[in-house]
Amino acid sequence: MRAWQAGALICRLLAGAAPGVVEPGLPIWNEGERAGLVASGWMAGGLLLTEEPAPNETEPAAGQALDVAQPSAEEIAEAEIPSNEIPEKFWPAYFEQRPQSYVVDPQGLLSSVDYRDRLGFLDYHAGDSTIDLFVYVFRGDQEIPGEVREEELVERFFSAGRPAAVMYYYLGAPQRSVLYLSPSLTDAVSAAEQRRALESSVMQAFEKVDPSGQIEALLVQMSIRIYWMERMLGGVAAAEEMPVAVHAAKVPVTTSLMNERLRPLMESARRFTLPAAVMAATLGLACALSWWTRRRARYRFPEFEVEPRLGGAHAAGVGAVISFASAALPPASQRDQVPDYLRRA
Amino acid sequence: MKCPRCVQRIHRAAASCPQCGFSIEDADGRFGEEEVRLRRLTDSAGIFRRGERERVEAALERLSRRFPQIFVAVYTGALGEVANIRQFGFWLLNRSAFEDVPVDKPNEAGILITIDPESKAAGMVFGYLLDPFLEESDTFECLSRGHAHWLEERYAEGLIKVLAHLEGILCKRSRQARRDPEYFQRKVLPPAMMGDLVRRIRAGHRNAAVESAIPEVAR
Repeated sequence: MRAWQAGALICRLLAGAAPGVVEPGLPIWNEGERAGLVASGWMAGGLLLTEEPAPNETEPAAGQALDVAQPSAEEIAEAEIPSNEIPEKFWPAYFEQRPQSYVVDPQGLLSSVDYRDRLGFLDYHAGDSTIDLFVYVFRGDQEIPGEVREEELVERFFSAGRPAAVMYYYLGAPQRSVLYLSPSLTDAVSAAEQRRALESSVMQAFEKVDPSGQIEALLVQMSIRIYWMERMLGGVAAAEEMPVAVHAAKVPVTTSLMNERLRPLMESARRFTLPAAVMAATLGLACALSWWTRRRARYRFPEFEVEPRLGGAHAAGVGAVISFASAALPPASQRDQVPDYLRRA
Repeated sequence: MKCPRCVQRIHRAAASCPQCGFSIEDADGRFGEEEVRLRRLTDSAGIFRRGERERVEAALERLSRRFPQIFVAVYTGALGEVANIRQFGFWLLNRSAFEDVPVDKPNEAGILITIDPESKAAGMVFGYLLDPFLEESDTFECLSRGHAHWLEERYAEGLIKVLAHLEGILCKRSRQARRDPEYFQRKVLPPAMMGDLVRRIRAGHRNAAVESAIPEVAR
C-alpha cells in the first residue's frame, strides 16, 4: 500500500460511514508490502491501525479508584436546590426596591444592545403615556422564589408615583408572562381587560422566533394595550399623575416631547372638527348655490334715450380696432387708437 | 365717442364729425345704401373650419340668453385695400338686417365684431342701447384677448376668448347700472343749453328764498 492509500483510509475512518450506502470492503494488508514498509522505518497511520500500545504509554491500572475530594455538606445542600430558581444573589436587585429602570435584568439575560433597545422603547412609552411599563426579565425556566409574593411586591413599590403596569417576562417563554397593575389602576381596569391585554401581547410575541424579537413584540403590543387602557380611564390616570420615577438610562425622546406639545392642539382640533365640517359644508353649498345662481342669472340694461350721431339710425358706437398682422405689434402698443393713415405699417 | 374716420372725439349729438365731416352718407357712398341681409354669424372669408362654426354659434347663443336685450354678431370678410374696418363696421351695423335675430332685438341692441383676415384686423362696434355702458377701452380689452390666437390664424378660439371677456364686462356693467343708473344716464344726456343753466340757478335762488321766509312766518 502506498502513502496515499493510507491517507485515504484515514479520511474514510474519520468521516465515518454514511447510513444506507453500501461500503466497499476494507483494504487488506499485503504481507509483503507491510513488511517492506515496516522495514523502511515508518508507515503512515501505523499507530492507529495497530492494536499494540503506543510507545511511552502506560496501561491504566485496572480497578484503581480516582483520588477525588468528597463533596462537603453545603455543596450537597446546594445540589438539592432546584437549578431553575433565581439565584439568591439577584433577589435584592429584583425584589427589594422599586426599580430604577424600566427594564429589570440584574442577571444580564438580555444582550447589551437588546437591553438598550428595550429601555429606549419603554422610556419613549413613559414619555408618551401616563402609565409606565416595567418589565422584569427572567430566564425561561426560572422560578420566582416562594418567599416572594409578586402582588404584594407591586402594591408596595408602585402605590406611589405614576401609575404603572409591571410585567414579569420569562425569556424565550412568553406564555409564562404575568402582568400586574399598580393599585391606582386595578380598580379601573377589569381583570378581564388585563387578561386580554396579556393574551394579545403573548400572541404577538409568538409571532417571533428569537427571544429578543419576542420580548420586543410583547412590549410593543403591551404599550398599545396600555394606550387603550388610558382611553378607557378617560384621563383618570393623568389626573393622578405623581412625580416621575428616576430613570437610570436616558434615551432621546424628541418624538414624545413633540407629541406632548402637539397633544393639546390635537385635542382642541378634535373638539372643533364637527363645527368646522359643518361650516365647510355650508360654505361649499353656498358657493355652489352662488355659482349656479350666477350661471342662470339674466342681465338687463336700463334703456336710455340716446340721440343719433353721424346720421347712424342704429349705432355710432365705434369701438376699438386691433391689428394682428405681426407679433411685433402687440395689443399694448395699439392701445392709443389712431386713424389708419397715421399708423405705421 | 370717436369718429370712425378721423378717430377724433365727437360730441353726443353731432350729425357729422366736426373735424372731418364724416357721416353715414360717406359710408353709404363707399359701401352702398341698400340694406344688407346677414346672419348672426356670417363667415364670408371662410375662416372657420368644420366644428368651429358650431362652437362660435354656441358662444353667441349663450350671450343672447344671458343678456336677453342684446345680441352679438360676427362678420368675417376681406375688405380690400381701400376699405377701412372702422367705417365698415359702423356702416354694416346701421345697414344690415340680421335674419336669425328676433325682431324684438333691433340693431341698437347689437354688438358687431368684424374680422378681416386679409388685412389682419378686427374691430368692434355697438348700438345705441349699449352706448352708455361700453367704452372704447372695453372693446379694446376684449379684442386683445383674441390677438394671440388670431396671430396663429386660430380665429374661432380667439373669437371665443373675445366673447367670454365681453360677457364678463357686460355682467359687470349691468350690475353697476342696476346699482347706479343715474351715472350711466348722465353719460347720454343731451348737452346742457344756456337756458337750462339759467333755469337751474333761478330755481336754486327761489328755493333759498322760500326756506328763509318760513322761519319769519313761524315767528
